[in-house]
Amino acid sequence: MSPEVATTRQRSAPAGGDFGYSNARIRGMRSRLLRRDFLDTLIEGTDIKRFVQELTDTEYGPDLEEALIAGLSASSVDTALKNNMVRTFQKVLGFLNDEAEVLVTTLLGRWDVFNIKTVLRAKQMGLGHEEFVDGLLPVASLGPVDLEALASLPDIKAVVDTIVTWGLPFASAVREGHAAFLQSGELAELELALDRYYAEWAASRLKGRRVNTRIARDVLQMQVDISNLVMTLRLQKEDVESIDASRFFLEGGAVVTAELYDELVKMSDIDEVLDRLRGSRYGRVLDDVAMLYLEVNSIAVFERALEDLLTRRILGLAKGDPLGVGVAISYLWAKQNEVTNLRIIVKGKAVGMPIDRVRKELILV
Amino acid sequence: MIDKRLARWVFLSTFLVVLLSPAVALAAEEVAGEWQSYVAKAIGAGIAMAVSALAAGYAQAKIGSAGAGTLAERPEAAVWVIVLQALPEFIVLLGFVAALLIVQMPVTPA
Repeated sequence: MSPEVATTRQRSAPAGGDFGYSNARIRGMRSRLLRRDFLDTLIEGTDIKRFVQELTDTEYGPDLEEALIAGLSASSVDTALKNNMVRTFQKVLGFLNDEAEVLVTTLLGRWDVFNIKTVLRAKQMGLGHEEFVDGLLPVASLGPVDLEALASLPDIKAVVDTIVTWGLPFASAVREGHAAFLQSGELAELELALDRYYAEWAASRLKGRRVNTRIARDVLQMQVDISNLVMTLRLQKEDVESIDASRFFLEGGAVVTAELYDELVKMSDIDEVLDRLRGSRYGRVLDDVAMLYLEVNSIAVFERALEDLLTRRILGLAKGDPLGVGVAISYLWAKQNEVTNLRIIVKGKAVGMPIDRVRKELILV
Repeated sequence: MIDKRLARWVFLSTFLVVLLSPAVALAAEEVAGEWQSYVAKAIGAGIAMAVSALAAGYAQAKIGSAGAGTLAERPEAAVWVIVLQALPEFIVLLGFVAALLIVQMPVTPA
């Protein structure tokens, strides 16, 4: 069973709280992240072949060479980019000290939730293995082999049973969520159970008054806040009064408490929600995109603005304590952001998306 | 946090020792006999040398650790890493000078 792979990973990390080695190494890796003007060159490139040529001399070169043995296609380039990201994350986790490893793996736990949710959704929609396996990102405790195993299972029940058999931290939540799913037929029940479990599990691991723990907890609290805010905005947009909105609330946020959440979901429209949030850390970014929301009439606008705020906040951690965990968290987010952008460009090239549209889709913060 | 506290403590103690050890030796000389003066000077010089060497060692350990991390990713920065690694040697040099001054102070019988 592979979850043990994560716990018995061969690590040559410095013990205790020595951040000097890992942070210096991460700064070295950070210096190899692609610059904005290089991304512009990639966007303006004519096709995928040109894209690959440009990337060959970068960090992605070895992964591209390996993946392109099967032939040049958007899918193989996408696989190479994903492999690079997974390899980089594993490398960083391999040399972080013990304290940082606990904090970072806790934050990366959201990728486990993301991967399990992706598998469950795919099983419900009856998608074939090849149709969704590229979307999985084995950067947390579930490795590539685990995800392959989960993806190849026939249905939701088999996935749930396997997770329970493996004894993953999410097992109890998945089992309870599955019972609720069987009753209601709504996969959202299962997903909600997973989200709720992750928020509680991560919060319990990020307790304490140490500076580094506080940094990681702040990131988690922002994620929970954003999740709750997006939910309130969605409920406002859908204008569904029959649903018990409090079921969707996730504990552990810093700004959006249970009381504020109840207050927000009871408001009459989105304008009122924005007014109430004015003055909070999320008020300004939501106000900034309010006009755009009126134009496109989609909650995705707010979601994107809040995600950008979170990304900006996390990237800013690199400028804080040079001997703290913020440097590692910030780098991993920056790397994830870069790979996401490159994958968007590749997909854009593959479907012939106009350059302006590709630029709009990129996460440039 | 612990590292920062320790670093601050080492820096302050080194500073104090390097400044105060000649004063201690002088004071001891004023109130003691000839052989006591020699002992006091030896102790003062020893403290100045030892603490400054320990402080330099601590600093070099930290710089070396970060330097190893840098070299793992950016071997081209080797020259800079060596320069930075050598910088704390100045702390030992200062301690050595302080120790030398202490030892060379003339002994005046009480």
